[in-house]
Amino acid sequence: MTTEATSAAKKTAVQAAEKKPRVYGRGKARLQKGLVYGAAILTFAVLLFLIAYILINGVPHLKPSLFEWTYNSDNVSMMPAIITTVEMTLLALLLAVPFGLFTAVYLNEYASRGNKLVNVIRITTETLSGIPSIVYGLFGMLFFVTQLHWGYSLLAGAMTLAIMILPLIMRTAEEALISVPDTYREGSFGLGAGRLRTVFRIVLPSAMPGILSGIILAIGRIVGETAALIFTAGTMAQIPGLFQSGRTLAIHMYVLSGEGLNMNEAYATAVVLLVVVLLMNTISALVAKKLTKK
Amino acid sequence: MKKSVSLLLAGLMLCGALAGCGGNDSYGAGESGTDDSAASTGTSGAITVISREDGSGTRSAFVELTGVEDDNGDNTTVDAEIANKTDVVLTSVAGNESAIGYVSLGSLNGTVKAVQVDGVDATVENVKSGSYTLSRPFNIATKGEPTGVAKDFINFILSADGQAIVEEEGYIKVNDEAAAFTTDGSEGQIAVGGSSSVSPVMEKLIEAYKAVNPKAQIDLQTSDSTSGMTGAMDGTFAIGMASRELKDEEKAELTGTSIALDGIAVVVNPANTVSNLTMDQIKTIYTGETTDWADVAA
Amino acid sequence: MKNLLEIVMHGVFFVCALASILAVALICVFLFANGIPAIREIGVLDFLTGTTWKPGNDVYGILPMIVGSIYITAGAIVIGVPIGLLTAIFMAFYCPKRIYGVLKPCTELLAGIPSIVYGFFGMVVIVPTVLDVAKFFGSKISSGSTILSASILLGIMILPTIIGVSEAALRAVPNAYYEGAVAMGATHERAIFSVMLPAAKSGVLAGIVLGIGRAIGETMAVIMVAGNQPRLTGSLLKGIRTMTANIVIEMGYATGLHREALIATGVVLFVFILLINLTFSVLKRRKDA
Repeated sequence: MTTEATSAAKKTAVQAAEKKPRVYGRGKARLQKGLVYGAAILTFAVLLFLIAYILINGVPHLKPSLFEWTYNSDNVSMMPAIITTVEMTLLALLLAVPFGLFTAVYLNEYASRGNKLVNVIRITTETLSGIPSIVYGLFGMLFFVTQLHWGYSLLAGAMTLAIMILPLIMRTAEEALISVPDTYREGSFGLGAGRLRTVFRIVLPSAMPGILSGIILAIGRIVGETAALIFTAGTMAQIPGLFQSGRTLAIHMYVLSGEGLNMNEAYATAVVLLVVVLLMNTISALVAKKLTKK
Repeated sequence: MKKSVSLLLAGLMLCGALAGCGGNDSYGAGESGTDDSAASTGTSGAITVISREDGSGTRSAFVELTGVEDDNGDNTTVDAEIANKTDVVLTSVAGNESAIGYVSLGSLNGTVKAVQVDGVDATVENVKSGSYTLSRPFNIATKGEPTGVAKDFINFILSADGQAIVEEEGYIKVNDEAAAFTTDGSEGQIAVGGSSSVSPVMEKLIEAYKAVNPKAQIDLQTSDSTSGMTGAMDGTFAIGMASRELKDEEKAELTGTSIALDGIAVVVNPANTVSNLTMDQIKTIYTGETTDWADVAA
Repeated sequence: MKNLLEIVMHGVFFVCALASILAVALICVFLFANGIPAIREIGVLDFLTGTTWKPGNDVYGILPMIVGSIYITAGAIVIGVPIGLLTAIFMAFYCPKRIYGVLKPCTELLAGIPSIVYGFFGMVVIVPTVLDVAKFFGSKISSGSTILSASILLGIMILPTIIGVSEAALRAVPNAYYEGAVAMGATHERAIFSVMLPAAKSGVLAGIVLGIGRAIGETMAVIMVAGNQPRLTGSLLKGIRTMTANIVIEMGYATGLHREALIATGVVLFVFILLINLTFSVLKRRKDA
């Protein structure tokens, strides 16, 4: 039923969008309006259904014991995984944000327009952003884990993720820098500030909301990542040091479900993941709002 | 006219969405079973064959035991759906009346039905007595002679205490007359890694061992049999785990020890009326010669 | 002193900028060094156009997987793009502000759900539903793990990307366009579909390309619903294996040539992504010119 309806709707949608009618009747307008509303209703129905599905399956299995400090096979606590997720996120950001941000600064504030290097960097970052996470996982395994002998470790996972989110951070930061009006820079130069001072005092602060939104997107990707981490960070359920293996929440869920033994706890983990994502989105929205007002 | 079309479309979309919602009820969380549809079909129709991925320990043991694998290699039909984890097999079979799959006996749950093989129930007792022939060993492998914590831990696994845990978890002991365990008090940290089928019982073993010898630290990495063996070879793991026999090239470098036996259960949907399959039927289903339930139901 | 700092920082920025090049170079080197020898050993044509994948028998042909990735991605685009685009139009032009405050975070939430959760959802909801619907219409299929199921699931998964980017593009079109159109007597709908939408075309296109990238690279969710049979098929109601699934499913076990063949699959995937990116930037450049 779903598919029939959507495919019919889809066809009409494409026609409606492409056909250039000679007479633009009211009927057509109504049709388009119907389509727009229909699509929106469908989207949000699916969305609500999905969220409800997770909540219904997960919430009944949320128990305080799932948040105890140590994991063991009788009580598959997700606390170590939560902490690992935080560690992993912070470490990956620490590695990727300076590089991404500085690259954006270089491209937008320092490099001369039409510089060949700039083109190369743009193309490479676009390439990076298109690489599937499984390929990152393969690379991380071949390079960090095997070649550098780091073994399955927090660091190998974080490095892999850092490369993965680099283009995301870079691109959003660049967009944000571009949107800072040139008059700001001219004003700053005019007052005698150097380029560096202009960048750090004037340009970066006003580009902050955009940069932040990129970081938030990156966090979302880190938190939800599985394919790239299984091959690099391993699956130990402990609170890891830099060269120890650990599992993030998403991996925790993957491992729990794997043998079909802990499905309930896996769903409970999904609820926590959902809450984490929601929390981060809210925080970012608030921060962005505050920064924009300022 | 057009207005009505648009309204109709919007309505259809809504219905579609609702139908999607409604459809869910009978599948629930995958644990409700599908009793509502039982007996609705006198099981016939095309068989959906679900297999594990090429190289999985469960698969290599399964194809070898059933004869799906012969001198020409693994003859599993290309039309078989490939699931890369046990839970995917379970969920797929639970959601599809015409599906057949195979999982570790220890992972069996109420959402699917295990069939008899040659008239024998898939139970721990029958695997132990040897009458249920679909079973495989859980192996651990070390490079050279183990020392320190690794040696002490292996002694623990093979002791009466370790084997008791194996049995508790629904697997079959390899040694009934093992002695009780006393630790030699080794200190240090080792990594154990490999087969996800062995992992759950290994996890229990590690916890029990740590209770006896708190000075030892054992890390457990869950991946799969082959990477467990490669890890043991290149030194990533002190002990590798495999849910199958070691291959010849692995035997050349590693010493394998069997720590438990595990049955492989052939599972179908609870609504399926078939309750017994012969080894030969299983083989022809997995090689794609038998494609309809009607051919095996009789 | 101050000048020195300027120069040093200039250098720092420059070095950072080189990091992304270094990363791409490293990835290329490692992937190609591990993948190309296998392709050569198997034979380029045998590898790319071979229709049989039987690692156990040393037969490595990935055409079914290439076709699988294309089928499923195309399916996801056909399902996801129209719905996503129309929803973006709704969000940008129709949605009351109060509801918007609820709906917007919802779409963002959709983007943050890990793919394995989508996979579960697909496995227990979409797959059985597709099976039931197909049976209702008289199809003889016995399993719902099909190209269609995977396409629907991926179509849902790319919605947030398409909605987000398209909405931003639509909002970036100056309001004067809309006002102008309405002032000339156009209806709300006409102003949107004939004026605003064409003006936002390049942004919308960017969203679609991002969506394609996500769809073709998706792994964990697709594995659970696509059936993963490594063979060619012409039917939407049959299962198929994608390149990503091929890698994840067998990587852990593979050794020797098999393992290299999987990395080579990654190389092919990588080249695909490169081609998509290139096409996109050519399209963009032509538009800019």
